[in-house]
Amino acid sequence: MEVNVGDVVLPGDVIQAPNTNDKGKLILGPGLCRHMDEVLITTSGVLRKKGRNVYWVDSHRKRYVPVKGDTVVGVVVNRSGDTFKVDIGSSEQASLSYLAFEGATKKNRPDVQIGDIVFAKLLEASRDLEPELVCVDSYGKKGKLGVLPEGGFIFTCSLNLIRKILNPKCQMLKILGSEIPYDIAVGMNGKLWLKTKSIKETIAIVNAILTAEHLQHHEIASLCDDVINALKGM
Amino acid sequence: MSAAVLGALEFPPNKMENTQLVCIPGQRLCLADKEHISGCGTYERNGYIYSTLAGVVNVVKEERSSIIEVHSSKGQGIIPAPGDIVTAKVTIVTQKFCKCVIKCIGDTVLTRPYRAIVRKEDVCATEKDKVEIIKSFRPGDIILGRVLPLTEVHTYHLSTAENELGVVIAYSESGVAMVPVSWTEMQCPKTYVKEPRKVAKVVPETVTVD
Repeated sequence: MEVNVGDVVLPGDVIQAPNTNDKGKLILGPGLCRHMDEVLITTSGVLRKKGRNVYWVDSHRKRYVPVKGDTVVGVVVNRSGDTFKVDIGSSEQASLSYLAFEGATKKNRPDVQIGDIVFAKLLEASRDLEPELVCVDSYGKKGKLGVLPEGGFIFTCSLNLIRKILNPKCQMLKILGSEIPYDIAVGMNGKLWLKTKSIKETIAIVNAILTAEHLQHHEIASLCDDVINALKGM
Repeated sequence: MSAAVLGALEFPPNKMENTQLVCIPGQRLCLADKEHISGCGTYERNGYIYSTLAGVVNVVKEERSSIIEVHSSKGQGIIPAPGDIVTAKVTIVTQKFCKCVIKCIGDTVLTRPYRAIVRKEDVCATEKDKVEIIKSFRPGDIILGRVLPLTEVHTYHLSTAENELGVVIAYSESGVAMVPVSWTEMQCPKTYVKEPRKVAKVVPETVTVD
């Protein structure tokens, strides 16, 4: 079945490609694959387009597949030799080297224990290889990466909700932050780390984020106002 | 026991009874001297020839000497020796090495597989530091490699650091056999995606002339 941009699509559908006299390249994002002269859809979701030639399928996913360059929230589960094994919710545990921290040398080991939460970036992620994490950017600076402080709360949500709240158009985090002080680390693997001053505020923000799964951007703003009012009323 | 072997040598062939000497590993067969040479399935130690396999002793008579061999009743006696070119299938790929399973030695297809490793330093002859294993091999690839001198007990080390060695058959992410386009890339004929591999320069043995 031929589909257009904005349609709900199923695997097996064929895209109506733009005319060949455009002479440009088509960039196929997740959910699309080229088969001979056609472009086939491989996941169910909504077909989207950006710019003139970038196409992808927005699908509902809970299981994370590591992608190079993503920032993720992980839990240190093991230590073997020179590397830590970190659980990021993917099929294989990721490896994080001792030296991938700011200011770490062979003699100056970083202070990371088993059970710590880390916010790290995926250096290497491939279908056939174990994912590799780093807590330092290419200049050697820590930035926002590294071990997260104690006293936070981790929860999971679906991957498209993560993409929705990280979208610049979504005002949720800003509106909540204007009234409730909080620290948040959003991992592309579906895990979020949240730290606030009290349990009430933590629960309020977690519920607000999870409820926003099925809401549009304008509905999210009114949801945040409701949550803030309820918290003040308590 | 050694008398039976010497007895088999002394009988002239047309009068020789069909004495099949069965031996076990470690069994002393005969003296090792100029006339008796140890062949496959045997080894020489302290002046005697011993058997390494459980099987039947076979004596190959030559002009002045005879070669003592032991043939196992089932299967091949061939094992990878340093310098052999072997065909292996890649099973696991990590950052520092890739594990594979040896399927053939030269032209002989093996009945049992042997485990082997290709280390990062042995993939390519040039730029050994910049080699990335994930861009040279993937699980499921069939590679040609040369056996390096043995160091470990149960694994062979292979090297693909020659033009003629490397990936021969590889499948793309969509499961289709890929076609080589250069020494470092192979392309899938269905999705046209190019994937990096260390491609082997396979020279065809026969050239058909029209």
